[in-house]
Amino acid sequence: MNDEPERWSRLHPATFAIRALEQLPQLVVGLPAAAYFIADTGLWIALLLALLGIAIAVALAYLRWLRFTYHVGDEQLIIESGVINRNRRTIPFDRIQDISLERKLLARIFGVSVARIETGSAGGDEGELNCISRAEADRLRDRIRVYRAGGATADTENADDIGITEPSEPILYAMSVGRLVIAGLFNFSLVFLAVLGGVWQYAGNYVPAAYFDPRHWFELYGEQAMGLMSALPILGIVVTLIAIGAITGLARTFAREFGFRLTRTETGLRRQRGLFTRTDVVIPLKRVQAVVISTTLVKRFFGWCGMAVQSLGTDGGAGTNHVVAPLARAGDLAPILAELESRPPPADAAFRRVSLKMIYRSWLEDGLVLAAIVIGVSLLWGAWPWLLLLAPFFAVTPVLRYRSHGYCIDGGLLFVRRGFWRRRITILPLDRVQSASLVRGLSQRSFGLATLAIGTAGASLGTPLRILDLEKGTARQLLRQRICPIEAGEQAA
Amino acid sequence: MDDVPVEDAPPDVLTQLDPRQKAVLRVRSLLFGILPLVALGIGAAILERETGFPARWPIGAGLLAYALTVFVLPGRRYRRWGYRQEGRGIRIASGLIVRRETVVPYDRVQHIDISRGPIERFFGVATLTLHTAGSYNSTVDLPGLAHADAERMRDEIRSFIRHDLP
Repeated sequence: MNDEPERWSRLHPATFAIRALEQLPQLVVGLPAAAYFIADTGLWIALLLALLGIAIAVALAYLRWLRFTYHVGDEQLIIESGVINRNRRTIPFDRIQDISLERKLLARIFGVSVARIETGSAGGDEGELNCISRAEADRLRDRIRVYRAGGATADTENADDIGITEPSEPILYAMSVGRLVIAGLFNFSLVFLAVLGGVWQYAGNYVPAAYFDPRHWFELYGEQAMGLMSALPILGIVVTLIAIGAITGLARTFAREFGFRLTRTETGLRRQRGLFTRTDVVIPLKRVQAVVISTTLVKRFFGWCGMAVQSLGTDGGAGTNHVVAPLARAGDLAPILAELESRPPPADAAFRRVSLKMIYRSWLEDGLVLAAIVIGVSLLWGAWPWLLLLAPFFAVTPVLRYRSHGYCIDGGLLFVRRGFWRRRITILPLDRVQSASLVRGLSQRSFGLATLAIGTAGASLGTPLRILDLEKGTARQLLRQRICPIEAGEQAA
Repeated sequence: MDDVPVEDAPPDVLTQLDPRQKAVLRVRSLLFGILPLVALGIGAAILERETGFPARWPIGAGLLAYALTVFVLPGRRYRRWGYRQEGRGIRIASGLIVRRETVVPYDRVQHIDISRGPIERFFGVATLTLHTAGSYNSTVDLPGLAHADAERMRDEIRSFIRHDLP
């Protein structure tokens, strides 16, 4: 097993250039400090020191490159690294689920990628090859696949010209340009304006204060301005804003989702996407814990939704959400769900509602909050009755929330639906439930309600899966008989 | 399909914690309350010197609250705690204001700790901590077990632990 390999491979030489270029911004940050230094000691000494610094950095980077070696064996991958302390890591192919590739813009120019070794268990024994050539990455991938397929060590030297997706990987979902455009329009956002505002504020420190004094402008251009204040320019501004929002959304969506394709590999789902930074991620099926289908009110109106999977984090930490379909019709999801051994959510009518008292409880709580705010404000501000305009909002929201919330247990799967503006349906196989709690706050207790919170591996820490405001008896029954049956002899549904 | 009230499941007979846990809670409240009380005293003294507001009122209220946390609350909190071991898991109830009932199936436990702080050691009790893979409820504490009981439970639960996630 522990055969000492004869031929060690090194990372792609371009690694060197990429690291240097990536460090340029840091150098730029250092410039002001350098300027200060120059003023003090004279230009030549400063330049000499700078050159020396660069030379040392290059030498260190070269040493690191020289001392990072790896060997792709017949049954294992060995990585040795460290300039002074050698660190040897052996990753048996048995433990490698697959290899994820990430190629940033710079890496793509040099034709290399960062390869991340995905191991199946929750241990932290993962490796990273930063960076290797595409051909090398494919060779590694093929070697592992061949090993997993039959254990035979076939010669895969001529696997270099295999395309990015082999025909053996069925495509589960792909995004056409038309769909990208639609997704981009849904991502309409005015975040650009916020960025502009931030820059403006920042630049403001360097612009004479008079520029920001409206009176200054008024005196200069007052009359012209009055003449221009017709409806036309206002319309123009609105159209421009809409255009900016749409273009921002399109640009962001194209940058992230361009060329999106989801394929099935032997061990999991493989996702490739990105216009500038191209990522190639494998999500091992073993690690998928739950599926989340989400949509917004607008998207739902046009019949669109998106889907993500929650997968187990490494080292038992919080897991990650992987988007597996940014924009899809309900019908597109079925093949992906089938691979996940899951099913599309049932019709809305099949969902059970929680207790109607949820609405009353929200009214009570929100009403108390509103009353407190109104009383507080009325002491300071005469126009407090305007605040009562908020009341209809507080009155309607709980009803919408109640009507959107529901759950359904069907064939070992728990479906939980939540949210009116942003509807999310979480699909959780009951055998992935890690723990469950019945939580009853003060107001819930007086209404006889309970919230069922379910611990899943891989959900983000802030939002456990919750079924809110069930009748106490129902919640307890659900917990004991369906979600977390622990009595001896009983089997999970 | 609405959720209508159903017959509540029969109440469990929960095992109470070791009675010595009440003393642990009390001593803890006694110690942790001192610093806020001193701070309150200093604040009230400053208030009296600056504005003439008599210091005895805030100090009196503080002492009352302190007495409450030391003499009344530990007993009530203690009574809300309880646990029950079933065939394949454990049920733990707790909470005075927000009540929770947590169910942890044994085969979902990743590892188990027994911890004993100085106060717990003095009174001979221990806290059993169950770690699950979930990000919610990633640690579930069961305090106030007699040390021998905690060790027995740990060994019992340990035999269920699986080393790989499904």
